[in-house]
Amino acid sequence: MSDDMNSGESDHDSDTDLSDHMDEDDDYCGYYDNDTNDLDIDKPKKTDDPEYFEFELLQLEDVERFLNEEVEVLCSSQKIKPSLAKMLLHAHNWKKEFVIECHSKNPSKLLVDSKVIPKTKNQQLLAGPSAVCGVCLSQVARTDLYDLSCGHMFCGECWDSYCQVQIQQGTTLGIACMANDCDVMMPEDFLYSILSKPDLRNRYSQLSFLEYVKSHPALRFCPGPNCPIIVKAKDCRAKKVLCSTCHTMFCFKCGLEYHAPTDCDVIKKWLTKCADDSETANYISANTKDCPKCHVCIEKNGGCNHMQCSKCKYDFCWMCLGDWKAHGSEYYECSRYKENPNIANESVHAQAREALKKYLFYFERWENHAKSLKLEEQTLDKIKSRIQEKVMNSTGTWIDWQYLLDAAHLLKKCRYTLQYTYPYAYYMEKCARKQLFEYQQAQLEAEVENLSWKVERAEITHRGDLENQMDIAEKRRLTLLKDFLDI
Amino acid sequence: MAATRRLAKELADLRKAGLKNFKNINVDEQNILLWQGLVVPDCEAYNKGAFKIQIDFPAEYPFKPPKITFKTKIYHPNIDEKGQVCLPIISAENWKPATKTDQVIQSLVALVNEPEPEHPLRADLAEEFSKDRKKFIKNAQEFTKKHSEKRPTD
Repeated sequence: MSDDMNSGESDHDSDTDLSDHMDEDDDYCGYYDNDTNDLDIDKPKKTDDPEYFEFELLQLEDVERFLNEEVEVLCSSQKIKPSLAKMLLHAHNWKKEFVIECHSKNPSKLLVDSKVIPKTKNQQLLAGPSAVCGVCLSQVARTDLYDLSCGHMFCGECWDSYCQVQIQQGTTLGIACMANDCDVMMPEDFLYSILSKPDLRNRYSQLSFLEYVKSHPALRFCPGPNCPIIVKAKDCRAKKVLCSTCHTMFCFKCGLEYHAPTDCDVIKKWLTKCADDSETANYISANTKDCPKCHVCIEKNGGCNHMQCSKCKYDFCWMCLGDWKAHGSEYYECSRYKENPNIANESVHAQAREALKKYLFYFERWENHAKSLKLEEQTLDKIKSRIQEKVMNSTGTWIDWQYLLDAAHLLKKCRYTLQYTYPYAYYMEKCARKQLFEYQQAQLEAEVENLSWKVERAEITHRGDLENQMDIAEKRRLTLLKDFLDI
Repeated sequence: MAATRRLAKELADLRKAGLKNFKNINVDEQNILLWQGLVVPDCEAYNKGAFKIQIDFPAEYPFKPPKITFKTKIYHPNIDEKGQVCLPIISAENWKPATKTDQVIQSLVALVNEPEPEHPLRADLAEEFSKDRKKFIKNAQEFTKKHSEKRPTD
């Protein structure tokens, strides 16, 4: 661990040793390059990138074809009907190999477990040419009585009405037999043979397709509003996906916005907590603070936390209001929460206050970065118009000034990761690993603020200086992710 | 309409069978989807009274479940002040079209006689029922005396 403590400081090249476990997947790297925000200067090799993830962005028809192929594999291997294959795959989260193995070994056990057939078949004795349907209680001709594999007979009209009501309620793959205490599921070919209304057939096929996609661990709908894209990945992991259609960035595993280095459960807990505690935290959302030296009121109008009072020129930190000089060096203190070491002996009341204090500390930093990210958008717009101006005045071409845009994009990316380090730190147990995490977080925090400062003053900053700063910030980000993002 | 046909048949069967715990079944001639009746419990807490309930059948019956509400106030952990009752057999997830009203009523009577404090609608009563059964029964009896209907004579 002591190695890591140092690696952030000087040796940028230590990150380049290759682990070769992903080498076989050359075909997919093109998809990752769709990420237009990733205009990195020296993009790390994919094997070296802790955020690297292979995925495909598919259209509906592609996914239909993919699912049909999966079904076809099972059908031909086990000689079963497609409707049965679909039920089995859906019941076992599309673990095709597992289903094939179970079906070859003990088909009847698999069918019972998957609720395709009952444990014991109902022996309904039908004497005579007609019988009473147990649902409408009418006398029905035997030729109009139908059953699932369980043998519970009901009339065609009742089955039809039942399916209609179920589909209208949004149930498709979970339609069970109509008999009491019978949980045998209805196969899709039975449903199609019984359902009289064509518009409901279409509705069924649409809704059941959605259910199949939702139950498939390798597929996820893009969460962007009205976005038709479905993402396909080899493994269901908490990795970054950027939709090229609607530009939503999200986590493949949980579908929430991307949250590295925090994991899916923790971010959910954190977001719920933030929503619950929003009232308590409201007071901190004020956008102005007083200059700690001359007390003039200062509004934060850029993303950078390194503030300079426009009146007295005092350099200070927006978060802690301390002198910025203390932040520039290697030890950036302001991202680290200092717990009261004697808390166990304090009263319940004091502990509650301490808990709130701790939460607010992390929430303030989380919220501050979220706001800064929005403000960096404005910086980006300013840079764009400035470049436009320069090009019009023939001071360089658009390409000459491209590095400014790259810097602004990189800044956004680094700040984004930084924002999501705070929920991670909040839920982390106090241990040596937390110390390391906070150390790296502080390092990243310092470099992001440096970068932000330089980007906002891009014209007076030297190009080489800025590019150097970009390089350092991205290295810090990757070092932190490599050590703390579960790969 | 499927609902009308089935309900007419169920009603006739119920009246013929003459249930001991569910009496005075009253159905509007104009609207067979709305039933009323008296629950007549036989457990210690409620055996001095009767409780009027209403059964609302949806137009899609029996493909959607009926709803039951108590019209008489009752001191019971699973029935709230508005008369709403949580009965698993008629919840949307568990409902089966082949389930008969007879079975629903049996299940309701069983719940009245034996409260289920594990999933209460009134947490205070559930706690009293679990912790101090004697006090619960005494309170329920007093409440029954004050609010319930007269038990029908056989």
